[in-house]
Amino acid sequence: MEWSGRRVAGLLLLPALLVVAVVAAAPIGLLFRVALYPPGPVAPLAGGPELDSLAGLLSAPYPSVALRTLRLSVLTTVLATVLGFPVALVLSRSRGLSRRIQTLLIVSPLLMSVVVRAYGWMLILGRQGFVGETLAALSLPRVGLLHTEIAVLLALTESFLPFMILALTASLDRINPDLLAAARGLGASAARTFLAVVVPLSLPGFVAGASFVLVGSLSAYAVPALLGGSSARTFVMEIYELVTISFDWPTAAAASLVLLLFASALLGGAALLSRRRSARTFGA
Amino acid sequence: MRFALRATAAIAYGVLLLAPLAVIVYSVSPGAALEVPPSGVSFRWYVGLADQPRLISGLFTSLTLGMIATGTALVTGIPAALALTRGSLPGREVFLAILLSPLSLPGLVLGLGVLTSAAVLANVTGIQTAGTLLPLAAAHLLITIPWVVRSVAASLESADPALEDQARSLGAGPFATLFLVTLPSARAGIVAGAVSAFVISFGNFALSLLLASGRTVTLPVAIYETVDRYQDPTVAAVSTLTMVAAVGAALLTDRISRPLRTRDSSTSGRRESPAGLEPAR
Repeated sequence: MEWSGRRVAGLLLLPALLVVAVVAAAPIGLLFRVALYPPGPVAPLAGGPELDSLAGLLSAPYPSVALRTLRLSVLTTVLATVLGFPVALVLSRSRGLSRRIQTLLIVSPLLMSVVVRAYGWMLILGRQGFVGETLAALSLPRVGLLHTEIAVLLALTESFLPFMILALTASLDRINPDLLAAARGLGASAARTFLAVVVPLSLPGFVAGASFVLVGSLSAYAVPALLGGSSARTFVMEIYELVTISFDWPTAAAASLVLLLFASALLGGAALLSRRRSARTFGA
Repeated sequence: MRFALRATAAIAYGVLLLAPLAVIVYSVSPGAALEVPPSGVSFRWYVGLADQPRLISGLFTSLTLGMIATGTALVTGIPAALALTRGSLPGREVFLAILLSPLSLPGLVLGLGVLTSAAVLANVTGIQTAGTLLPLAAAHLLITIPWVVRSVAASLESADPALEDQARSLGAGPFATLFLVTLPSARAGIVAGAVSAFVISFGNFALSLLLASGRTVTLPVAIYETVDRYQDPTVAAVSTLTMVAAVGAALLTDRISRPLRTRDSSTSGRRESPAGLEPAR
């Protein structure tokens, strides 16, 4: 018996593949079927197959909710990039203990449940929270940011910033320092070297990070539910209420599939983009 | 330029660390109301945890679930990582992509799918899984496998395969080589994978939300239900405890895996990045 044998390797892969098939592929396949039932409470789940549940997503409130979700996700990605790039730049230039401490600080929020971090933002942004109480202590008018899109944006950015930083750092780490020295040696200023060498070479990390942040913030539930509430409803919040409040599983399944297909298209596009880019880099 | 860079980086660290800090500060607040500046420090909410059956039960559910998910993810993920790094499989990249795909599935959608599947299973076969840990455990296994596979595969890839050849040529059988050479050389990856798996399962919310009910309500879901309704520093106390435990576990893992990391310092930054971020190479 050899580990390298094809049959043994297949056998070793089988259990993990089975889990993906049974717990991911089959349930999602089932959602495709449920989405083809007519919309309405779960009890009947009969009739069809028809596209009424999917078509129902074209009517209010779904299009405007989808637009708001998309807007929040794009803004989150922009903010995460703007805030993440300097951190990644400093991190990629650090070595030893300093690098380990920075990495720990960046990764440590990921060790906490997203609910705990959203709760932290509630404590900060609420009218009776840290910001509100500080303003009151300074005899300024209380401002509550809780249940606004700004609160959602802030907490989403915090949720996904570590991923963006790590993705950008991975790219920056791969930049050959000789390239920077060559650019400087050929007379480019520090700013020019940065814009013409560092920024383009960090694009693969940006594409990987941005697609992850976009998909992640489109799919987020805890942050918009706790910090936005009814004043900043997102697509996933609609799905949750379709399941638990209106018991309209066909529409919930249809909405889930729309989200899933959109997310897959984004990730697929990003993968294609980075493949073409790397092909060009090696071809040049 | 340099100043702007440092200033933005400082803001970024602020955004990252503010929320956990707020939870910690509120957890030692003397009263239920949040005060600025705090009038003192009190640990009464930590003591008061004992009177919160929902949080305690959630804590035990999450610990149980985390252990089940970690154990099963190791049992299924380590062989898969072996096959991906040591086997000569055609379409290796495709298998890796399949195994990592759960990372990019929206949690709530996956939860709805599993919930629907459990309902269909009950209708067709009469096997009731509602109210048991089974749907949750299966779902948590699914999302923890990628972390184990990536971490163990990375370790196996950086281990020296010549050691295994030498063991074989010295007469060790395939099993002896596996258990005495290959797996020990991937020790750091196995430990890191196990810790990530546990942390991911323990903190998961979106996937668990639709699947948790009654006795199977996990800690994040219990916290969500509590903070959604009223202000209570007890939630901050239990959250702080889980934070301390998670950061402690991460530091411990870092220490255990350090000898292996320092050997190839050029990739040390990459190894620490969470799974699913970098394109598979």
